[in-house]
Formats: sequence, structure tokens, C-alpha cells
Amino acid sequence: MLIFDQLRKNDPQLQLLALVLGGGLLILLAGLWWVQIVNASRHRESVETQAFRSVRIPALRGEILDRNGIALAENRPSYNIDLYLEELSRSFRKEYQRIRPRQIVTNDLPLWKQWLGVSPVRTQYVRVKGDQLERAARYQVIATEAEKISAVLQSPLYVNPTNFHRHYAQLPFVPFRLAENLSPRQVARLKESPIDVPGVDLDIQSRRFYPHSNVAAHIVGYVRTDNSSVEGEEAFYWYRLPDYRGVVGIEGGLDRNYLRGHAGYKSIQINSLGYRQAETIWEPTVPGTNVVLTIDLEVQRAAEAALRRENQFTRGAVVVMDVRTGDILALASNPTFDPNQFAHGISRRDYQQIQSLTAEKNRATGEHYQAGSVFKTIVALAALETPEARFDPEDEYIVRENPNHHGRGYIDVGRQRFRDTAPPGPYNLRRAIARSSNAYFIDLGLRPGVFEHVVELGRRLHLGERFPTGVVPLRQEAKGNFPTAERVRRKDWRDGYTANICIGQGEMDVTPLQVAVMTSALANGGAVLLPRLIDRYAPHDPTGFATPLVTPRGVIRNYLGVSKRNLILLREAMLAETEDQEGTGRGVQPCGFRVCGKTGTAELDILRPDGRKKNTTWFASFAPYESPRYAVVVMVEDGISGGTTCAPIAKDVYIALKAFESRAQTNSLAANR
Amino acid sequence: MTSLSLNDSTPRLDRLQLAAIAGLMLIGLAFVFSATMVTEAAQAQPLIKQFWFRQAFWYGAGLTLAVLLCFVDYHTLARWAGPVYWLHIVMLVGVMFFGTVRGGARRWFDLGFFSLQPSEFAKLAMILALANFLSRPAEELRQPGNFWRAMGMLLLPFALIAKQPDLGSAAVLVPTAFAMMFVAGVPKRYLLRCIGLVVGLVALLIVDVLFAPPIWQPIKLKDYQKQRLLVYFGKDFAPPNATPEERRRYKRLQEEKSYQSQQALISVGSGGLTGRGYRQGKQTALGFLPPGAAHTDFIFSVIAEEKGFVGSATVIALYAVVLFTGLRIAGQARDRLGKVLAVGVVTLLFSHIFINLGMNIQLMPVKGIPLPLLSYGGSSVLASLIALGMLQNVHIYRKGY
Repeated sequence: MLIFDQLRKNDPQLQLLALVLGGGLLILLAGLWWVQIVNASRHRESVETQAFRSVRIPALRGEILDRNGIALAENRPSYNIDLYLEELSRSFRKEYQRIRPRQIVTNDLPLWKQWLGVSPVRTQYVRVKGDQLERAARYQVIATEAEKISAVLQSPLYVNPTNFHRHYAQLPFVPFRLAENLSPRQVARLKESPIDVPGVDLDIQSRRFYPHSNVAAHIVGYVRTDNSSVEGEEAFYWYRLPDYRGVVGIEGGLDRNYLRGHAGYKSIQINSLGYRQAETIWEPTVPGTNVVLTIDLEVQRAAEAALRRENQFTRGAVVVMDVRTGDILALASNPTFDPNQFAHGISRRDYQQIQSLTAEKNRATGEHYQAGSVFKTIVALAALETPEARFDPEDEYIVRENPNHHGRGYIDVGRQRFRDTAPPGPYNLRRAIARSSNAYFIDLGLRPGVFEHVVELGRRLHLGERFPTGVVPLRQEAKGNFPTAERVRRKDWRDGYTANICIGQGEMDVTPLQVAVMTSALANGGAVLLPRLIDRYAPHDPTGFATPLVTPRGVIRNYLGVSKRNLILLREAMLAETEDQEGTGRGVQPCGFRVCGKTGTAELDILRPDGRKKNTTWFASFAPYESPRYAVVVMVEDGISGGTTCAPIAKDVYIALKAFESRAQTNSLAANR
Repeated sequence: MTSLSLNDSTPRLDRLQLAAIAGLMLIGLAFVFSATMVTEAAQAQPLIKQFWFRQAFWYGAGLTLAVLLCFVDYHTLARWAGPVYWLHIVMLVGVMFFGTVRGGARRWFDLGFFSLQPSEFAKLAMILALANFLSRPAEELRQPGNFWRAMGMLLLPFALIAKQPDLGSAAVLVPTAFAMMFVAGVPKRYLLRCIGLVVGLVALLIVDVLFAPPIWQPIKLKDYQKQRLLVYFGKDFAPPNATPEERRRYKRLQEEKSYQSQQALISVGSGGLTGRGYRQGKQTALGFLPPGAAHTDFIFSVIAEEKGFVGSATVIALYAVVLFTGLRIAGQARDRLGKVLAVGVVTLLFSHIFINLGMNIQLMPVKGIPLPLLSYGGSSVLASLIALGMLQNVHIYRKGY
């Protein structure tokens, strides 16, 4: 090469020097190769990690609506004031310059400098240890801004210095929240007045809101603020915008797959000071699906009010089910709570109150109880269906008087004596149902083959079992208890147990919802339906083209397998209970329907403070008698009796159902016109 | 005086070198622009205050000076070597008293529109004086007395510059002077002994800083110098007997101190093969490369990030052309004065390039050394162009017209 020609001459010094220079340049080139080619990806990653911050954006949560489209859980805008710190950085610096202390120093100058006339007095900035002063400057700026804004809002704003400093240290790229949840009036003031403060912005966030507060609270459930990632979502974020997680009820049960939607994520590019420079949305959010329930808000409201008719703190539940489709029109539980309290941090006092009332329990699905006499309907049905029992509903069975209790009957099973609340005397099926005679049904149950049939009917009703997944997605579902056929065949099964089951006590527990399914089966001719709580899943869709996913109506889970004749017999007896002079369920009338009902009072072996035994009172019913449409099941813990406590509650519900029917009629007429 | 017309039958100027210099200047201009025009505030500045424009001005001024220099035979220049040398020594002394302080060092004369950094020019003055001194007959160079006088000519500016403190600028004088003496024919045994001594001293110093307890450190380095060494060797700042609280404090300090070099490395590395593209560098735009350093000492990081390995290899290739044409000029020089002068300039440039690039890829500790022709800075650009002018001078007058 031309350059090297001269070096080829015999000049060892220059040759050596050329060698050293060439070697040096090669070392540099090799170093660059190592850094830029071999380790390039590592360094790129460093740039990413130091220059980008990922932020999780929650999706718009799906709404929960009643069957008519009235929102039970919705999102409301909440207005907040945010301060964008990057726009304030200049003010921070200025303030720092202003408050930085200066001092006047007299230098001890050398003679010649003094001779030259250099002034020995100088002002100079004092070095302050640490960043104490910068912190103070920043806080000063923020506090001044807050003051200006509070003048506009006409309400005091206070910035907690610890919070601010922590925010600044950890998340300088996220705007600092100055005020939350402004009133509409404050928003208007802010919009109208031109504030000359930099970096202020009004931020809109969606807040979960339950417009009907405690109505249907147990179905809707509640949410808590929670920003954690769900499975299949980016797990690591520098920052998460506030999000909700459903805890119980529909909010909890349908949280992941429907309501929550998919969180998106954006990355914020920051500069070396940590301030925000630019934003890119990498993954847009997918809004959650709206869930339309089969609940009718008015029926639900009436059912809840009915539970509270005697006492606000009545512990009980009401289930209203359409016996043809399985639609749950109301699912009430009392005492109740306001889900709004949970969404934004509940106070300790409020929570303690809720706990002391056991208001969080969903008594309609989440708790099980002794069924009591309500179960006698099934025993009667089993006896009617068992030929070897040779049971004639018109036969009279004589109940003897209890020697220890004047005016009450009894029956002995082995060495165990079962007391009766019904008086002694002759009973046929109709009277036994109407007076709810224990002795009569225990006698029935002990006849050959009857109890096996009772167990079989219980199996077909799926007692002691949960509903299939997704049918009651409330996260509060008890499965109850019911003996299996194997259990009953075992040697240690005794007649006393059978006797107990026949009057709905002992080794069986049911939830009010299970009783509603059972009652519906008696009403609709023996079809054991799946309760239908969710009408449809409607994707969030502003254009209106997406078709909602409607859940199937009237899904039959099983058949009782009993004859129509026997069901009619039973139905007659149940009608007598609410219409006969001595029927225990007379309290349900007048309600506008002819109601078939069965009361129940299950005694527990737990004493109350006043010495009486604890009990569970029931009223299981369906109406109208002519062509049943609704099953209404009422359960009250520690009522006086099924007839006294529960039947009047059912009456209120039936009145609401009458109104519901006329409303539906008006609507359909209006729609047809 | 002869004409400098390029149409002359024999090439007077080393055109290849000129082309490489022009290429470097264009790159310098482009990337000073890229490194400084990051914020809107910077773009809104009047033209006269924009760095790239000022850099262009310095290029112009430097080229003018270089061309003027070429009208005077380097022998004539050498005759003025003594006065020039002493003038610069006086300036170095003067800057110790009248210079302005920036970042704890007193290196500059504030001339209002321009801060003059005398050490940049003192390097050239030393090269000129030393070349003049070494051009004496070969027998005289073998006398130890003359060797020590040459060493004195090196050590005087070295000490003054190191005192500013500007250890980096002082350090580049050492290889320059040694290379000149070596090429001039100073006996190798002197040089080897001296190099041995220097290497030994440096090794001792490093070992002392890194391992010895504070009371055993006879050579007092400034704190920041010590810390740079510690950063370079990846040692903890904290002394072994530090309390946890002190250890935390030192750790924070260490992170701060290694920040620049770390960010430079990340910039260079993230360039990859072809870079992010012109003006697409993130490290500068987001301020991770300190805004004060991106267009000066760390300009190479900007080039490397935006143009990748291709860009940095191009820069190295251009420098290689300048250096090797420089050596060719030395080889073709008509006498020892020209040869030694050329070698001095080439070695000085090489030292700058090696230390600056090395510091960008953590091959060298961080030193405030500009990259010749690329880094923004009046003194540096002027000095580099004057130096290259001297090289061309040696080339022009190689035939002894």
C-alpha cells in the first residue's frame, strides 16, 4: 500500500512506531467489536431498563345488570387532579436556586492579589449536604400549586410531604395525584377558571359504583382495589394504575373471565432524571363483558324488604324462581351491606359492624340449614310412589297424645321418642301436610321401601351436591348434606336416623336455593331444573353488533320420576296448607295467587339465651295453583314458626310478583303496538 | 516562497491525509449537531450560540491557521521554538493564578466568547521545542546531559498541567516525548530505563491507591482521580474497615462516579452493528449521557450509538489514514527535525485517540481528553488543526526548496 511504502525503507524506529500504532488501533477495533457486536444485546437491554417504565392499565370493568337492563353495578367517572412532574421540573430548579443559601466570604488573599485590587469579599453558594434542600424546594413548589388550586376549588388541599417525597423518589414518571373524587361543582370551577399553574391536569378514572347500594348486594358481591396481574398477563410492572378485583358474588365469581376484561400495558420513556418523555401503548385494554342477571330489581327489592318487615336484622333468605325456566327472579339475604363501602377501602368500624351482623353471609346459597317439615313433601311423594308401602292418602292414621305434653302428639321409634307439635287425633295426608304432623310422616317413612325412595328422590334433586360450575358463580355456595344410598344401607344406620330425615332433620342440610329447586320440581311436574341466575353475557360493544351470549333456559338436570297423579295429590295437600282453616301456611294469603305451600320449623339442639331452642323456619311454596309459575322459598333463622314468620314474608313477595306480571304485560303490549 | 498550488506537478500536500481530515471534520460537525440539538430549547438558540455552528467556526479558524503555518518552512518555525515553549510555560503558570475554575480544575482562560485552554497548545509547543532540541547532531544525543535536558523539557509542562489538575492531558505528553526521543536516536538504554521507571511508578501508584491503607499513600491524588482509578479497576470505594453506614454511602458515591463511564459503555454497546440511525440515539436524547459531555469528551459514544460498529470502524479507519500518512511524512522528511516533529504530532494524536476511545469502552479510566477533530471545543480543534498543519508543513518542505 502506498502509505507503507516509505516505511519499508530501512528505518527500524519508524517501523516499530508504526507497529505500536497499528496494534493500538487494532486493540480499539477489537474492543469495539466486543462491545458493539458481541455484547450489543446486553447493552440494548440496559438502555431499555433504564429508559422505559412499564405501566399496567386496567380495563373498563363490565357492568352487572338486572333482567330489564337496570345497572346493579356500574362504572362512574371520578375526577381527580394530577400534577405532571416533568412539567414542573423547571419550577423545581428555579425554587432550588432561590432558596439555596448564599454566604459572603472574605478570602484571605495573597498580597499581590490585594495589590492588584481583587476584592476579598465574594458571595458564593453554600454546598448543602444531601438533597435536603432540593426536596424542600420541590415540596415548596407542590404546596404552592396546591394552594392555588385549592383557591379555585374553594376547598383546602393538603399535600402530605412524606407521600410526595416517596412518590417523587419512586415514580417520578407517574403524575402525582393532588385531589381525588372532585364534586361536579369543583370540576366546573376548575374548567371555568384559567389557572396559570403548569403541569395540572384533570384526570378521569372509572370508579365502581352500586347505584342501588344494598339491594342485591349478595348477588352482585363487591370488589376491592387490587392491581395484581392475573394469569397470562404481563407480571412485572413498574407501576399499576388502580384496578379492582372481585371478591364475592357475581363480581367475584365472574371476575377473571368476564367482568375484568384484559388489562393493557403502556411503556413510558423516561429521561435520566426519571421524568416522563413519551408514552407508547403496547397492548390496548379489552373492556370486560357486561353480565345481565335474571334478577328483577323490583322483585328483589320487595323480597329484601319483606325479610325486614318485622325486624331490620332478621337473619333469613328468600329465593324466587321461575318454575318453568329456572330463572332466579330474586335471591335475597338479610342482613345486608352496601358494596360501595368495600370498593374504596372500608373503615374498620363499618367492617366490624358488618361482621357482627354476619351480613357478608349469603344465606340463600352460602349457608345450609335443617330443612324441617318442608321436606315432608318429598317423604309423602316417596310413600305415594312406593307400592309395597300400601299407602293410601285417604287412610286415617291415629296419632296418640304425648303423656308429657298435653295436646301434642308423639311417636316412638325404638327407644327414641319424637315429639310432635301437631295435636293427637286422626290424620290423612291432606291434614298431615296442613298440620305438619311429625308422627304421621315418621310412620310413613318407616314403612317398607319408602325411605329408600326418599333417598333416591334426594339424589335426583341433587341434595348434598353443589350446582355444576358456573351455575351459581357467587363464590358463596354451600353443598348441604344428604345421606347416600350406601350410607343408608350400612349396618350402623338406625331407624332413628330415618325418622329424623323424614321430618327434615338429622343428617341432612339444605340451602334455600336447593329448596327452591325442589319446590319448582313439585310445581312443574317433576323436572329438576338448573337455576338460571345469569341471563346473558353481553360483550362491551359500543357499535351494538356483537351478539350477546344467552344462557339456555329451562335446563333440566334430572327428573323426579313420579306420576302426575301423585304430584296433583301433593299439590292439593299443599294448597290446603295455605287455604284450610287449620293450615299452618295461611299467613301467605291474601296475595293475589292461590298458593301451594309447606311450612317448616326445624329445631336445633342449640339453646338460645332465652332458653328456647334455636330453630330454622321455612315456607316453601309455589303459585299460582292452577298453572304454577313461581316458586317462593323463605327461610328465617330463629323465627317463631314457618307459618307465623315466613308465610307473611312470602305474601309480600307474591304481591311483588303480581306487580311484576302486570309490568311484564304492559311492556309486552307496548312492544307489540 | 513557493506557491502552494495543488496543480503543481509534484504533490506538495498529502492529499490522502487531507481527505481523511475533511472526512473527520464532517463527521465531527454532524455529530456535534446530533449530540446538542436534542431539546427544543437548544434548537431555539440563535445560530451563533449553537454548538455545531461554533464548531464550524473553529474548523474554519483552525484551517486558516494551518494554511498560514504552511507558508513558513518548519525550519523557520523551529527557530522560534524556544520563545514559543517559554511563552506557553508562562501561560501554564498564569492559568494557575488567573484561570477560571470549572469542575474543580483551573485549566482555562476566560476570554469572554471563548475559553482558551493553554495546555492544548502547550503540548504543541513542547513537541516543537523538543523536536528542535533533538535535531542536534547524533553524538550529542548520546550524552546523558542532553538526555536529561530533553527530559526536563517534558517534565516542566507535564508538572504544570498535572497540577491544574489535568492528569490526562499531562499523560499524553509522556508517550509523545518518548516516541520523539526514540525516533531521534537517543540511546535505547536511557529510554528503557526511563520507561521502566515510569511503568514502575505508575504500577506502584495504582497498587498504592487500590490496596494500601490511606496513611501509606505518599502520593496524594485528588479524590476524584483516586475514584476514577477505583472505578476503572472495579474496586470498592469503601475502606475494608468501613461501617455498614459508610459502606452504603460509598456505594452510592461509587454508582455516581461510575455513572458516566457506564452510560458511555451502554451507548456504544447499544449501537450494535449499524446503530440506531442519525439523531436517533436514545442515550443522548434522554440525557443519560451527561449533556455537558456528549458533544465533547464522549462524542464517540454518540457516533457509536447512532451509527453502530460500522460508524466507529469508519472513524478508526479515518484516524488510521491520518496517523499512517503522518508516519509516511515522517519517513519522507528531509531531515531529523522534520521526522521528529512529524512523529511527535502523530504520537500525540494517537495518544488522544487511544485514551478517548479506550475510555468510551472502559478500556481506560475516564480522563478529560478530547477526541481530536471530533470533540467540540475551540482549543482542541485549533490545536489539532495546527498540529496537522505542521505535519503538512513537514511534507511540503521535504524536498528543501
